[in-house]
Amino acid sequence: MLKLALSIIVRDLRLSMRHGSATTMVMGFFVMVVIMFPFAIGPEQKILARISVGVIWVAALLSCLLSLDRMFQTDYEDGSLDQFILSPVPLELVVMAKCIAHWLTTSLPLIIITPILGIMMNLPESGFLPLILTMLLGTPALSFIGGIGASVTVTLRRGGILLSLLILPLYIPVLIFGSLAVKAVIGGYPAMEHLMLLSGFSLFSAAIAPWAAAAAIRAGLE
Amino acid sequence: MHKFANPARFMRLSKIFLPWFMGLTILLFASGLYYAFFLAPEDYQMGNTYRIIYIHVPAAYMAQFGYGIIAVASAVGFIWKHPLADQAARATAPLGAGFTALALLTGSLWGKPMWGTYWIWDARLTSMLILFFIYLGYMAVWETIEDQVKAAKIAAIVALVGIINVVIIKFSVDWWNTLHQPATLMRLDGPTIGGDMLTALLLMIGAFNMFFITTLIWRIQSLILRRRVRALRMQLGGGQG
Amino acid sequence: MTKIGLKAGARKKRRLYFLLTSIAVLGLAALLVLSALEDSIRLFYDPTEIVEKNIGPGQNFRLGGLVEEESFESREVAGILINHFVVTDGNESVAVTYEGLLPDLFREGQGVVAEGSMNEDGVFVASEVLAKHDETYMPKEVVDSLKKRGEWQRKAAETHPQDKAL
Repeated sequence: MLKLALSIIVRDLRLSMRHGSATTMVMGFFVMVVIMFPFAIGPEQKILARISVGVIWVAALLSCLLSLDRMFQTDYEDGSLDQFILSPVPLELVVMAKCIAHWLTTSLPLIIITPILGIMMNLPESGFLPLILTMLLGTPALSFIGGIGASVTVTLRRGGILLSLLILPLYIPVLIFGSLAVKAVIGGYPAMEHLMLLSGFSLFSAAIAPWAAAAAIRAGLE
Repeated sequence: MHKFANPARFMRLSKIFLPWFMGLTILLFASGLYYAFFLAPEDYQMGNTYRIIYIHVPAAYMAQFGYGIIAVASAVGFIWKHPLADQAARATAPLGAGFTALALLTGSLWGKPMWGTYWIWDARLTSMLILFFIYLGYMAVWETIEDQVKAAKIAAIVALVGIINVVIIKFSVDWWNTLHQPATLMRLDGPTIGGDMLTALLLMIGAFNMFFITTLIWRIQSLILRRRVRALRMQLGGGQG
Repeated sequence: MTKIGLKAGARKKRRLYFLLTSIAVLGLAALLVLSALEDSIRLFYDPTEIVEKNIGPGQNFRLGGLVEEESFESREVAGILINHFVVTDGNESVAVTYEGLLPDLFREGQGVVAEGSMNEDGVFVASEVLAKHDETYMPKEVVDSLKKRGEWQRKAAETHPQDKAL
């Protein structure tokens, strides 16, 4: 079973490597959103330091959201999705694999360039490691919950706005615990509870999303 | 549930019950408002401003009650494929969204004298706001997907995924230790409100509940009728209507 | 995709395995959340913690406690209301200043949560003051925090009859 999931992940990774533009564009979007803030708020270092964690988290969330509608779209268009439904691999497992592939191709690159944005946003030094850690723990939830949204809107022609409306409210816990944890560490407070809640939420979405998304795909493609 | 699952039987039964429900709603509102504004004493600390809870608390309850109905109806509709359950879930959404908006509005009006600000980002207020957006998203699913059978299924999935948020609302006060008071009525050691104040609050909750149910039945009726009209048009116009 | 020749039974079996995995993951998530909730997240710090931690000026945080009796003083300077009061937990106390209107429920002896930072003189400059209102008119968290220190007397709660409280 692991082998099957792995083969789907590898397939998606190869696809995104060949058309590498999607990942690069999401990274570009991520950077652009973050650097809009100094222009809007002003270049004062103190204020930037205060908002840096929140801004980077929100930008990561939006970048993730932007890439979601492609998650099942191409497979739906070329008919692979129908094949997945008919194949002996349970659709839930396929969805799980696709969510993991989405995380690897979208969130991971964002996390890798986060330190650069941290420097630009004057993030306090003690905040870098916690920020990376919370993003590693929290972004899987973005991909999994996003998978539900992507599956709900896969057959719709203009599903993008509906997708954001459905998904953004469910992203709020990630945002709360993610930024609280980093701020707690910067302020010298314990952050363990936040990190535990964050990982709990990620695991919870990993357990729920494949089932909900698979059901939505089956309902949509009927 | 099975008994009412047939739309025709639902129409017949609801026609009998609806006038009674309406009467009961009016009665409850009249007595509830009388209690709330004339019999219930002033609060020793908040004076008369506290009376907004007679709108705020019932509205907040109805906001969550509505989502509960959507979740149960969605589960029933999804598992047993009852068309009536799907329609009930659909009909509940705008009502629930309306009560959520009312709870948010009255809460913010109450917040000014209570907390000194119209809005604070406290857990319960915030999750109520999120609930409002989840209602909107749920309604948008119904609006966006044209095929009604497909829409019902997908909306049910969305509703069931969103139910975790309602759970968070109920327990957020204890989870996050915020400025909002813990629930007054739902406490293990009994309500901390007494006398005419409690009577007034319970009457108002009853009134809101009956209003909700009456309006819901009404909306389900109109949704069923709309479906019938569409079916008849399809027959007459060869699917053009 | 691969091995299309397999029977539908294989899919069912795999689905069951996957379901069991999901349930295990769900259990793990519940375990994490429950153990995180055991030590609940504090939204504010009481005066003792502030003195112990020796929080420096400029650091933004929330201060919670009771307004000390007969410590409240309000002056109008050039049309702006400047309030002085002392927040205490019975053990330590912190002086607070706040410019602007205080909420209705602000009283001496009542619970209050203020957001702001310490200035150079060790006075807490609040940017926002919120009166804490709960079912017994004593902020539960403040009471808990005081109880832990053994400083809390029932007095404050008893002056507010429970049956009238909302």
